[in-house]
Order: sequence, then structure tokens, then C-alpha cells
Amino acid sequence: MTAVACNNLEFGRTRFDFSACGCSSNASFDRFSVRNYAKGTVGNVNRSHKARKLFCFRPEIGPPRMFSTKTPEALLPGVTDTPPVLDLKKESRSPASLTNLFEGVAEDLLTLNKNLQSIVGAENPVLMSAAEQIFGAGGKRMRPALVFLVSRATKEIVGLKELTKEHRRLAEIIEMIHTASLIHDDVLDESDMRRGKETVHQLYGTRVAVLAGDFMFAQSSWYLANLENLEVIKLISQVIKDFASGEIKQASSLFDCDLQLEEYLIKCYYKTASLIAASTKGAAIFSRVDSYVSEQMYQYGKNFGLSFQVIDDILDFTQSAEQLGKPAGSDLAKGNLTAPVIFALEKEARLRDIIESEFCDTGSLDVAVGIVKSCGGIQRAQELAREKANLAVQNLQCLPPSSFRFALEELVKYNLERIK
Amino acid sequence: MSAAEQIFGAGGKRTRPALVFLVSRATAEIIGFRELTKEHRRLAEIIEMIHTASLIHDDVLDESDMRRGKETVHQLYGTRVAVLAGDFMFAQSSWYLANLENLEVIKLISQVIKDFASGEIKQASSLFDCDVQLDEYLLKSYYKTASLIAASTKGAAIFSGVDSEISEQMYQYGKNFGLSFQVVDDILDFTQSAEDLGKPSASDLAKGNLTAPVIFALEKETKLRDIIESEFCESGSLEKAVDIIESCGGIDKARELAKSKAELALENLQCLPLSSFRFSLEEMVKNNLERIR
Repeated sequence: MTAVACNNLEFGRTRFDFSACGCSSNASFDRFSVRNYAKGTVGNVNRSHKARKLFCFRPEIGPPRMFSTKTPEALLPGVTDTPPVLDLKKESRSPASLTNLFEGVAEDLLTLNKNLQSIVGAENPVLMSAAEQIFGAGGKRMRPALVFLVSRATKEIVGLKELTKEHRRLAEIIEMIHTASLIHDDVLDESDMRRGKETVHQLYGTRVAVLAGDFMFAQSSWYLANLENLEVIKLISQVIKDFASGEIKQASSLFDCDLQLEEYLIKCYYKTASLIAASTKGAAIFSRVDSYVSEQMYQYGKNFGLSFQVIDDILDFTQSAEQLGKPAGSDLAKGNLTAPVIFALEKEARLRDIIESEFCDTGSLDVAVGIVKSCGGIQRAQELAREKANLAVQNLQCLPPSSFRFALEELVKYNLERIK
Repeated sequence: MSAAEQIFGAGGKRTRPALVFLVSRATAEIIGFRELTKEHRRLAEIIEMIHTASLIHDDVLDESDMRRGKETVHQLYGTRVAVLAGDFMFAQSSWYLANLENLEVIKLISQVIKDFASGEIKQASSLFDCDVQLDEYLLKSYYKTASLIAASTKGAAIFSGVDSEISEQMYQYGKNFGLSFQVVDDILDFTQSAEDLGKPSASDLAKGNLTAPVIFALEKETKLRDIIESEFCESGSLEKAVDIIESCGGIDKARELAKSKAELALENLQCLPLSSFRFSLEEMVKNNLERIR
């Protein structure tokens, strides 16, 4: 499965601070009921000790602590008609980092974290722990950051002073939907690791994972409905439908070497770009800008999202397991054929046989990865990512120059740097 | 789709859509509608999709092998397909719901989906908890069953365009009928044989899900508490527990509870003009009670 979360951005291990028994949950519970819940959930004696761990499990959720070890070199080729605020000269660019990029919305993200914790944790401590497992697992809050950046960049146009509560609620909804989909995805993929940590269902069992995912989808639907904006409600409902369609599409085309690039892009859209596009468009809608601008924000989100996903798919081949936080080449191993593979299949016929064998011979996966790399599959995928990134930057033209618009542009470029 | 057919075709009675249609027609009479609108029909479909999706996920959550005498989706196709099928159906129904473009109904049904999740959590965190109170049980029953039914009946009334007092009464009808329905189901889990139930009998109790008959029995018989808290580790203890519940009147008191909710439901129908549809709605309440004598 292609990772929707940007675990590939971690150049170092994310640190967690565990504070013993510092549960701030207001939900009243006693050890008896939580223990029994966990027991009933997992039905495996070995795991009951993990229930006791729940009480002391408080990973700190804070702003993402990301840093880049590489100085940005790859600039966006082919973009010539950008406004002067976009400095293309290498030497005058300071090293980008997500923390820098998100500086303008850092406070928004802090508030978001607090709100998310209380929304999810209020219901049940077991759920909260499960959610924290993934909320705290190195997530960068990229999607909410996008909502905040687009909100701030677009409100300039109409002279709105502050972000509205709809803006903030939208960001929370987006992050809840994203998180819920990750939890269910891991159940569907039977994944053990995400972002270098065990997955929710590995730790707490399938039941809790399904329940936590359902709960978060339900909460986000409810908050969405209470935004009382039909356009946004329909927009986001489409996304949830797209997620499910994307999963099904992927599941039914595993190891299918006839997969076309178009189909792959649709699947990337369903699984990744759809949510991002709906977030950016939603943010614009709540800024009350005109529909041309919201459409451009939609396209920005879509193109950025596709670029993002293609890069994730490239990194699945080029990064080591440690960097990825999960085994390398895992997409291919599962039969999920992504851009590099699709391009490689156009060149190398023998790759098809290996894939169709579903890697039953030991070492065949490594051979396949070798072929993909050597015949230029990765390069062509990089071009694809760049092409989408270019489109995304163009979509930002309609916004007045501002630090927020700049951050949106930089985010696109920062993303590209992950692959060179 | 095979997965969905497994459950769509598994002997479901379509109670919920039937309620939507009956209330739609019964309320349409008030303002002289002749035909059902496409919103009415779409609402019924949405309700059935949500219900089905919740059953599929429930079976994953309960690790149930059997439903309505047939194997469950996840037993046959695996957990993955079950989760995916459930997610897909929830997603589809959310999308259709959004495209009904009625904010009141959208909020109503979104509340239900939230309630489902809350109900599952409530149930899961109070397994084998002998301190569970009747009103907590009723709240859980509301979340898991009555909420959806109440939202369906109210939604049907909204789409008929009747005034809010009547839609409120339809909501209450759905809620009271739903609670009555759930209590009856919980009674039958004790009184019916495995064959009639389509799944092992007393399975609620076995899992630690303490329902009305048990809660009433616990008020009378303290030794029941010990057996339950032992989580039936000794063989034969489950049967012993069931005997205690029956002999000390737990079932009888639960029956009274079901009846009292049913009576409230019938009262809620008073605001509707007499018609064959109103009559059917009354009969549904009574037929439900027939299941327990």
C-alpha cells in the first residue's frame, strides 16, 4: 500500500516523551473496565499486559519536529513566469524545513492538536491511546497545515481578518479523516509498521483498529454536517467515497501488469489527492473567495497531492527500510504497481514475468527492484512528479503574493527534494 | 459485492426501510401528497446501507461467525473484505446523504453514525461490568438501534413536509419502537433456541454484554454477580447464570420494559390521521411484542 502519510520525510527518528500516568483524559474509567475491554478485544492472554500500559502511554503530541539534512538544490525546472517574490537563485535560499514552512501557521496547528485530542479522547481512553498511537507517530500535520495556509492565503483576497471557526473545524475534520483512513488501511494491508512504530491493529487488535477508525470517520462526518455548508459537505463526502473506491481499485488490480498510467493516477487521486484537493478547496470556500479561485485551489491540492503520492511511490524503491519506517519495496511486494514499475514495464518485458509470479522465488523481489531502477523507471516517475508539481505552482498564480502563498509554493518544491 | 449480497440476502426483513416508507406514506396523507418523493426513496436506501454496513463491522468487532443462520461476511471473506465492504457502504451512504441536500436530515443521520460508534465503544468498555445501570443500558440501546430508527422515521416526516411537531412525534415513535425492539431482541437471546436465533443462544451474556434481563436479575440475585465476574470460566456456569435470570424474574421485568416502550410508541402515532399506514405502524409495534409472547 502506498503510504499516505509522509513517513519518508523523517531523516531521523522522531522522539516521544512518555509521561508516566499523566493521562489528562476526563473520561472516567477504572482499570477493571479498560482491562476487560482490551481482553475482550484481543482475546489473547499475552496482550493483556498491554492494557496496563495504556494508562501510562502518553506520547507527546506537539508540532512536528522535522529537519532536513540536505540543502535544497533541485529547483523547479521549467517554471519561468513566476512573480519576483519567488527567488529561484540557489544561493539566496535558506535550507527549507517543514517547521519553517509551517511557521506562519504553527499556532493554528497547536490549537488543532489540542482540539483533536479532546475530540477523540473524550469518548474513551482506549480509543484515545489508539488514536495517539497514530496521532503521535511522527505525523507532520501536513494536511491541516495546507488548510491553514490556503485559508490565510485566500483570506487576503477578500480582506478577512482572522481565520473563521469553520476554517479550523475543516482542518480538524481533514486530519480526522486522514487518520481514520490510515488506521483502516493498516488493517486492510495487515501492516505491522507505520512511521517506524507498530500499527494500531498490531498493538491493540483488529477490533480496536476498526472501532477507532469508525469512530473517527463518524466524528468527522458529524462535525462536517454541523458546518452547515452544503458545498463543503458534498465535497468531503465525495472524498470519503473516493477513499473506499481507491482501496477497492487497488485491491482488485494487485499484480496486474496491464495497469495503465491513467488508472494508476486515478487510484492516486482517490487515495491521496482527493482529500488534499477537497481540503484546499474547502479552505477557499470558507474564505468566501470567488469560484475561480476555489477551483484553482482545488487544482493546486490535486496536483500537489498527485506529486506527493508519486514521490512516496518512488521513495518506496529508493529509501532504506529505516528511513521509510517500514520495509522497502513493500508496495511491489504486495503487488501494488506504482509509477516506477509501470514505466519500467513498458521497457522490460521480463519484469512482467517476475511480477506475475508474485515473487514466489526468493530473491525475485530484489531482481525486480533492480530492473525497475536500472531501466529508468525511477527517472520517468521523477519527471511525472515534477510535472504535477509544476502544475501545482501554476495554480497558485491567482493568489496575491504573501508569505502564505510562498509557503504553499515552497511546500511543493520541498516535496520534490525528497527525490533528489 | 458478493460480500454485500451475503448480508443483503441473508434473510433481512428490511424493517427499517419499511418504516421509512410507512411513515412517509402515513405523513404524506396529512398534507395530501399522493406519491413518495425520490428523497423518501433515497432515504430508505441510505438507511438500509448504513444498517448493513454497521452489521458487517459489528460482526468483525464481535468476531461473530454466524448471522441469521448464515456465515458472516468476515468469516467467509476475511476481515479485510469485511472492513472494506463496511467502509464502502458507509461512504456511499454519506455521499447519497450529502446529495439529498437537506441540512436537517444530513445532521440527523450524521448524528446516528456517530451514535453507532459511541454505542460500540460503550458496549465494549462495559463488558462483564455488573455495575451497569438500566439507563446506561437504554442509552447504549439507543445508540446502537433506536437512534437509526428514530432518525429514519423523522427523516421520512421531514421529506413529507409536515410541521415540526409531527416530525418530533415520528422521532419519538422511532425511538420508542427501537428501544422496545432492542429489549425484545435481548430477551430472545435468552429464551430462544440457537436454531431460531440463527446463532448460539445466550451469546450476549457469554460475551459479557449485560442486557435488560441480566440487569434486572442482578438487582435480585447477588450470586449472579460472581458468576458473571468470573466471566464464565467454569463450564456450566453460563447455563447456571441463564437459569438464575429466568427464575428470579429478570425476563419478566424486561418484558414489562419492552411493553412500556411499545405503549409510548403507540401514543406517538396519535398525531397521524387514521390510515392503513398508521395502522401498519401500530401493528409493527405489536408484532414485535408478539415475539416474546
